[in-house]
Amino acid sequence: MLDAIAILLGGVVTYITRAIFLVSRRVRPPRAVKRYLPLVGPAVLGAIAVPGLLAPGGEISLATTVPAVLAGAAAWGAWRLARRQMVVGLVAGLGVWWASLWLFHTLGWG
Amino acid sequence: MTDLPTPRDRTRSAVLQGARDSGLVILAYIPFGIALGATLATSGVDPWLVVSSSVLIFAGASQLAGIQLLGAGAGIALVVLTVAVVNARHLLYSASLQPHLAEWPRGLRLLGAFLLADPVYALAAARFERPGGAGSRHEQYGYYFAAGITCLIGWTGLTAAGVFVGSLVPDSVPLGLAVPLTFLLLLLPLVKDSAGAVAAVVGGIAALLASGLPLGLATLVGAAVGLVAGGVVIRASGTPANSNPDPEASDA
Repeated sequence: MLDAIAILLGGVVTYITRAIFLVSRRVRPPRAVKRYLPLVGPAVLGAIAVPGLLAPGGEISLATTVPAVLAGAAAWGAWRLARRQMVVGLVAGLGVWWASLWLFHTLGWG
Repeated sequence: MTDLPTPRDRTRSAVLQGARDSGLVILAYIPFGIALGATLATSGVDPWLVVSSSVLIFAGASQLAGIQLLGAGAGIALVVLTVAVVNARHLLYSASLQPHLAEWPRGLRLLGAFLLADPVYALAAARFERPGGAGSRHEQYGYYFAAGITCLIGWTGLTAAGVFVGSLVPDSVPLGLAVPLTFLLLLLPLVKDSAGAVAAVVGGIAALLASGLPLGLATLVGAAVGLVAGGVVIRASGTPANSNPDPEASDA
């Protein structure tokens, strides 16, 4: 029962963080920060994506970081070439990741 | 293009696009969702509660942190505080989408807030900030809710699969990079100028340097540092970010 209450309250606080600026038209982000709002997506998603790409296993090492960075670069390049098709970027990224993991393993670096 | 699409056609196409974009994210989330479900199945918390957390909280990292704490016997206050800190980034999403959703009826804004998970935010922001805008109000609803509901159902399904059959899945195929790659691909359409690029790179490196912090604070710290760094670029260039959709911002 306590577990259920904890999860329910976790849902409530999460909902509050999501809804706070959407509840009322009067509750708006301060005018001074408005021009910085387009930076929210890059800053937050960068803070999620970059650590996963530079330190895939939680730490930076040649055998894990290099394949992950190559995969990120391949995903980016393929996404651009394919007119921003996310699926192409993802498939290219995973393909390059697997290939470079295999190569590192074969060379005895991984 | 002699036959112009009717408003109804355009709304239908927005719904399909939202479901498709979100469906791809869910595909990329398969390894993470199943691993998360399988991990939480051994936490000691009732399996059905773990699955229901995907509906109620709908944010993987906080579910992982909160439920593991719960399983380890932590008190409700610590669990809720952890979830709140890990999910505080949604405040920024809420502020960032506010100008785009301002004209929506309140009921739909409140319903939309329920679905405002990371990928839904990223897809919606990219769509609403694109040069032609997000189309009519019905196209906006169609895209947003199709993306959000697809993501909610997909995420809950993946968690359930992980909880109930996750231990049967072999981990011989490495898929661990699918989630960071997905976030990279969600991030790219949102980077429209040098300020955005600086925010993403500096924020990412700051989050990595802060990864030793407790309570999932690293993402928040990274986001804050990234926002400041991007803000410095905007100030130095003396022009507002070109993707700002609000004409009022020019007189701010």
